[in-house]
Amino acid sequence: MKKYVEDLNFQGEEYVGEWTPWSPQDIRRKKCVLEAARLMADSVMTAPCAGGVPSVEVHIVYGQEEIEAIARKVEEIAHSQESWKEAFLYEAVMVRDSDVILFIGNTRCHETPLDAGCGMCGGTLDCGYFYDKKNHKYGLVDITDRSSDKMIDGPLCSARVGDLGYAVGSALWTAATLMVDARPFASIGMAGQKMGYCPKSGMVVAVPVAGKAKNPYVDVNVDYHLINMDKALDNTRKIYQTTRIIRGFDYRKWIPKPRKPGDQKTGGDE
Amino acid sequence: MGHLIGKEYCLDHLIEVAKSIVLAIHKAPQITGRTKIEAEIIWGKDLEPIIEVMGPVAKVMRYVQWDYETIKNCYDKGEAPVIISIGAKLSSSNLNWNCGACGHDTCKDFNAYANEYRGGGQLGGPSCNWKVLDWAMACDWACASAAQYRVDNRIMGSLGFAMNALGFMPGMDSQLGLALGPPRDMVYYSRDEMHKSMSYEMDKQDMVNCVPTMFTAFPGGGTPMYKTKDDWWAPPEFMGIGYSDEVMEVYQQVLFEQVPEIVVKHADRIAARYKNKE
Repeated sequence: MKKYVEDLNFQGEEYVGEWTPWSPQDIRRKKCVLEAARLMADSVMTAPCAGGVPSVEVHIVYGQEEIEAIARKVEEIAHSQESWKEAFLYEAVMVRDSDVILFIGNTRCHETPLDAGCGMCGGTLDCGYFYDKKNHKYGLVDITDRSSDKMIDGPLCSARVGDLGYAVGSALWTAATLMVDARPFASIGMAGQKMGYCPKSGMVVAVPVAGKAKNPYVDVNVDYHLINMDKALDNTRKIYQTTRIIRGFDYRKWIPKPRKPGDQKTGGDE
Repeated sequence: MGHLIGKEYCLDHLIEVAKSIVLAIHKAPQITGRTKIEAEIIWGKDLEPIIEVMGPVAKVMRYVQWDYETIKNCYDKGEAPVIISIGAKLSSSNLNWNCGACGHDTCKDFNAYANEYRGGGQLGGPSCNWKVLDWAMACDWACASAAQYRVDNRIMGSLGFAMNALGFMPGMDSQLGLALGPPRDMVYYSRDEMHKSMSYEMDKQDMVNCVPTMFTAFPGGGTPMYKTKDDWWAPPEFMGIGYSDEVMEVYQQVLFEQVPEIVVKHADRIAARYKNKE
């Protein structure tokens, strides 16, 4: 039998910092957030659920290309409907400012409802509202046709949606306990679902997570998709370079100095 | 200076803990930021109508029976839990997301349908599923908050049904109840109160009823025998499936006769509280 061999080489140093983006110190910081996200996934799995039935799945996504692809999908969805446009475009910026994104989905809300006749979906005393709108045989829902012109292929079992809410709530509670920033988003969840994350789920919520000085999910300004830190930095690169060009001089021979009291000439005249 | 002895002060303190939990309910994050959620705390003698409504339902729903007997036994022993009712406005959408999760093409269609069928289910409904998510997150934060205070707790649809029937939180479309305490372990999971409340035979019959595949003999013949006793083949037993007048009659009696009778007894007194608050 293979025995566990303990690694006793316990020494080292880990420099962790937020600046500059994607530097070794920033990637180490992101790995700290990833650990928190993994613990949040634990909370998802142990969240309360109706009848103790397992019905949630989690997809943890991170990496420069992966995050950018999600942000672009959110932007695509934003432009599909006027009522989503502004808020979702703001939220795409938040995606880019996130370290890790947790997708949490419910695998039963569209296919295997609670069947308890609670009436939350349609306001009736049985589950007829759900089944009348589904393609099913004797209560077994056929989900093989996954085409839908709606963002979510409803109706859904609202009791199972409630279970999804418990799961998301637990993830957020753990995030708050671990003091990483996180918020639940419909836009990012729908984007993730369309991209194939949480592949067995009928509804997906995204919880982006970040461990930065400024919480990416609060205190945003108007036109956030146009005016944000990424844009401000890029704008600095754009403006500052040109400003240098139009003020060029040979610093080895002459550097303008501030004018002293009593000087007649300007510093630039010498 | 002081000296607290006994358990009485712990039971009293549950109310203070409940108030802190309500803070967590209101602090819980939302996806929409537009779901109206309210919470109320109920304890002592005011639990009596709730327990009374759960009584007849417990006869036809096993999970309600477990909740009912646990809460009633604790109450009768002078160790009553404190209940937090968590309600939400779910039956109208002000989102205009037209996402389809409710089964309608647009939020406008959903609102028109909801106006007609509002409150028709045991737990309310119809519901905007994004608002259900917000509400469930608040309920989850209530549970998590209670757990951090190390108070045994469970979120219950049975309590929600009873409180909804009695007219608690009239402005809310759906309610769930969070039972808190009494201060000890194993109140709502592996329930102490339910010890010796069922026989071996009852447990076995539940299993046969609810998980029949566990007891199915060779199915190749098309009408399998069921292994409901040690010598299950002598004589063999078969599963019967059909409409039950008896079951449906009891169910109807409970929902449309017994529960309304109890509600009528208490509804005016509960409604008056909300009227006095206006």
